[in-house]
Amino acid sequence: MSLSQSARAASAAESRFRITRPIAPARNARVIALDRAAEAVARRVAARSWAAARFYACGEAAEGRPPEALALFGLDGVPPVALREVLAGTDVVVVLAAGDAGSRQAAAIGAACGARAVTTAGVVLGDGFEADEAVAALRPYARVLLLSADEADVVELLTALRV
Amino acid sequence: MLRRDINELLTQTGPGTPMGELFRQYWIPALLAEELPENDSPPVRVKLLSERMVAFRDSEGRYGLVDEFCAHRGASLWFGRNEGSGLRCPYHGWKYDVTGQCVEVPSEADNSSFCQNVQLTAYPLVKVGDLLWTYMGDAAEQPPLPEFEFVQVPPEQTYTSKRWQQSNWLQAFEGGIDSSHVTFLHSGGLKTDPLFKGAKGNEYNMKDTKPFFEVADSEGGLFVGARRNAEPGTYYWRITPWVMPAFTMVPPRGDHPVHGHFWVPIDDENCWTYSFDYHPVRALTDQERQAMVDGHGVHSRNIPGTYRPAANMDNDYLIDREAQKRGDTYSGVAGIAMQDASLQESMGPIVDRTKERLVPADSGIIKARQKLRKAAIALRDEGVRPPGVDPVHHRVRSAAVVLPQAESFLDSCRDAVTVTPGVAQSSV
Ligand code: FES
Ligand SMILES: [Fe+2]
Repeated sequence: MSLSQSARAASAAESRFRITRPIAPARNARVIALDRAAEAVARRVAARSWAAARFYACGEAAEGRPPEALALFGLDGVPPVALREVLAGTDVVVVLAAGDAGSRQAAAIGAACGARAVTTAGVVLGDGFEADEAVAALRPYARVLLLSADEADVVELLTALRV
Repeated sequence: MLRRDINELLTQTGPGTPMGELFRQYWIPALLAEELPENDSPPVRVKLLSERMVAFRDSEGRYGLVDEFCAHRGASLWFGRNEGSGLRCPYHGWKYDVTGQCVEVPSEADNSSFCQNVQLTAYPLVKVGDLLWTYMGDAAEQPPLPEFEFVQVPPEQTYTSKRWQQSNWLQAFEGGIDSSHVTFLHSGGLKTDPLFKGAKGNEYNMKDTKPFFEVADSEGGLFVGARRNAEPGTYYWRITPWVMPAFTMVPPRGDHPVHGHFWVPIDDENCWTYSFDYHPVRALTDQERQAMVDGHGVHSRNIPGTYRPAANMDNDYLIDREAQKRGDTYSGVAGIAMQDASLQESMGPIVDRTKERLVPADSGIIKARQKLRKAAIALRDEGVRPPGVDPVHHRVRSAAVVLPQAESFLDSCRDAVTVTPGVAQSSV
């Protein structure tokens, strides 16, 4: 009996013929730590090798200023830049939160990403109780919230996204 | 994407592999109880975690799961005679009981002690609900029996089927926590499947095709919440629990029975998909049970006398391009189960995860892989008992609820995702 197309195509032998070409990094990711504890994690993760990901910490969210003007500090030593510049040319932002200290910044980043159709993922470090306001601020915008996460989850997520 | 070595770690479940040892910490489904319907019924071949065995039910109703091959010269005991409280190899007549102990070697003198030293590898086989469960790990560490709700409710409230899937267990399982494919692949079924249609929640499902996700740890695994817009100011949440290593539930729809799966590795290129439906507080109706038998909902229509789906890779899953064009089915393959299986099998026996391009919406899968890997390594290196072994972890439910936008699904749904006997599922 001859094999159907599906049966032949699904065999281990045929699987060897999948095209193998290096896959270009899919995304120009920005990773933004909202608070001090998250920043420590971001620093350690940033020290690994990534294709195009850039890592930032947040400055103060000034009352009455547009969210896009929020100042961010590059963890690789670059001078402070405005959120709007950080978002130019990116299509995914991963926000790290360990507590509520950065909830105003979370709202600003969420709104700015929402307005620019930048996919946003939120990673909440620790058991999440300390960060419930930050989570609430991110919730309307983040395509995904990874709750009760740890440093390894951040690495895993960024690796899986090929940044 | 996943590194090659991690893909191998997660997909290989034979004896001595880290994932194989992880699976051997748990009670897992070995076969359906209906496969051994009566005392002395024919033995059944069972392959699990790359070990070949034969299951039988002896003259006293005891269940046994033993090495498939006779200790004498290796004939398959599937040909055995199941009689007189044991399974007898038809080649030279050696006979074994349900513990694998050889009880008779006819060529030896009567009263010879030779057979006492002949013991087939055997694992416990216990009926809980409509399934026979086995535990293939160290006997000294055997955990208490499973307490999943679908095997705890009275028999008239539950139904389980199984089907052979020609792919590695992990790519099958990953479909069980991947809530974002439902609005595409299964869109036809939401409108027409007798076990799905008519629920208010289906409208939210169809209207909002871009769900948001939240992934949270549970004691036994994960909860994956998928959120869609409902009425103004509210969200429709579908909550999928995963209990390690391979139990997932689908969020309910209206008062339809609740369903889910258990994904069990046969070997590295095949798995059993156990599909169940139960109602926590009422008997299944005759129509519901018939629909399940006919392969609706999460079940499959199998080739009679087998657990192989009638639509399978040998007949191109009976794909119907006209139905696909009309929109009756999204992929042209009929039935939720085979829509999933056809695509998962099309990935090849073990999908090469180094070639994936994952997106943030795949975070449930990313997190689940991470938890499996962590647990397998902690077990291997430090002997840590993994989540999901303790039966307390089994008492979870899926849920479908509408919540005010400001509420966290986890805080609001603690009760909804916990089994309370006699209380109905939370469902829209
Ligand atoms: S769109 Fe998901 S596998 Fe193709
Ligand atoms: Fe599916």
